[in-house]
Amino acid sequence: MSPEPRTKSAGVKEMVIDETPDGELVVHANCPPGFFSGLRLEGGIGHFSHYSSIIQKLEVFDRVASSQDGRVCLALIDRKVVVGYVTGSYPDPTERWSKLGPLMYELATIEVSRNYRSKRLARTMVGLTLDDDFFEDKISYMNGFSWHWDLDGSGLTMSQYRRMMMRLLAPFGFTECYTNEPNIALREENLFMVRIGSRVSPEDLQKFRNLRFGIVR
Amino acid sequence: MLKDYRKEIMIKDGTPVVIRLLAREDEQHMIEFFSRIPEDERWFLRDDVCDPEVLREWINNLDYQRVIPLVAVIEGENRIIANVRIHRRPAICLSHIAHLRISVDPEYRNQRLGTWMLLDAIKMAMNIGIEKLVAEFVSEGEEAAVHAAQKLDFFEQAVLKDYVKDKTGRYRNLIIMVKTLHRDWSDF
Repeated sequence: MSPEPRTKSAGVKEMVIDETPDGELVVHANCPPGFFSGLRLEGGIGHFSHYSSIIQKLEVFDRVASSQDGRVCLALIDRKVVVGYVTGSYPDPTERWSKLGPLMYELATIEVSRNYRSKRLARTMVGLTLDDDFFEDKISYMNGFSWHWDLDGSGLTMSQYRRMMMRLLAPFGFTECYTNEPNIALREENLFMVRIGSRVSPEDLQKFRNLRFGIVR
Repeated sequence: MLKDYRKEIMIKDGTPVVIRLLAREDEQHMIEFFSRIPEDERWFLRDDVCDPEVLREWINNLDYQRVIPLVAVIEGENRIIANVRIHRRPAICLSHIAHLRISVDPEYRNQRLGTWMLLDAIKMAMNIGIEKLVAEFVSEGEEAAVHAAQKLDFFEQAVLKDYVKDKTGRYRNLIIMVKTLHRDWSDF
């Protein structure tokens, strides 16, 4: 049976995943600004020959958590070593999706250390992050750019990695949508995964559909 | 994975289009669709798509292990405006290969519909573990389709000279194009 998350002060949720030789493995969702001092990134997160982690500095977590509605979920060993993270935020103003304002919300990064994979950490972190009524008013999306995928570390092919990402997000209501957004369209294996919140209006859905193909109306 | 398969696209003129699996209710729409494909093009198709029996067979014997039939319809209507079939081989030694056959309604050409259909077929192929996609084109007439395939990294693998005959009995080349679904970045 999966452990139940505990809600702590200020909306912080935590879930104990496992006991490891290095200490307790715990997932913390909705980490507030200031939560990150004293932490460090585990060695399987960083810069490798064919792969670089998207986030390599703890300050980035603080920046995301400080942003409006920014979300950071961390998997920690011994409550001080980061072995995985999920972040969410509104799209950058330079991105196409920002044209729909706060309707759009990006699940911006999902990563698990090379040394802590196959423990369903990504799924747990995504689940805890999305377990919030907030998302029912949003169109949440994730850009899956193949150039960020750790094919070497995972031993997967492009197609297999793509399927893994789809399987990771599908249980939370995400489906692949097509778009001509240039970064997504650059490679056919790239993924644009979308979750439509239950309170998103048909008008907003239509705007989103138009925007996926570059039409603002 | 195929259950409820539905992809929304928008073609160049802003018409909303849905790509979905061929359904049993599509028989009449398929007959109408293929009746709009010029006879010169139908000539080169492997099946006599003007024969309602052939289309009935396609629809009534759906076996996604062998063929994945996708159609594009205008949203809110059931009018079929493009058709792509992904053929898989039963032999294990060829199970990583799929052949594509694609047709687009003449009224909806030059609208990137063919490109979206090809892209959808590629993504579908990736989802079902296909490693190579093969598409065949007849010379002198399918240049637009060849161009669309080239844009999606299909490469000419072979040309069978004077391989097919057109309606007048003139020989045409068969161009075989292959796309490898990359395993990793080193393949580029």
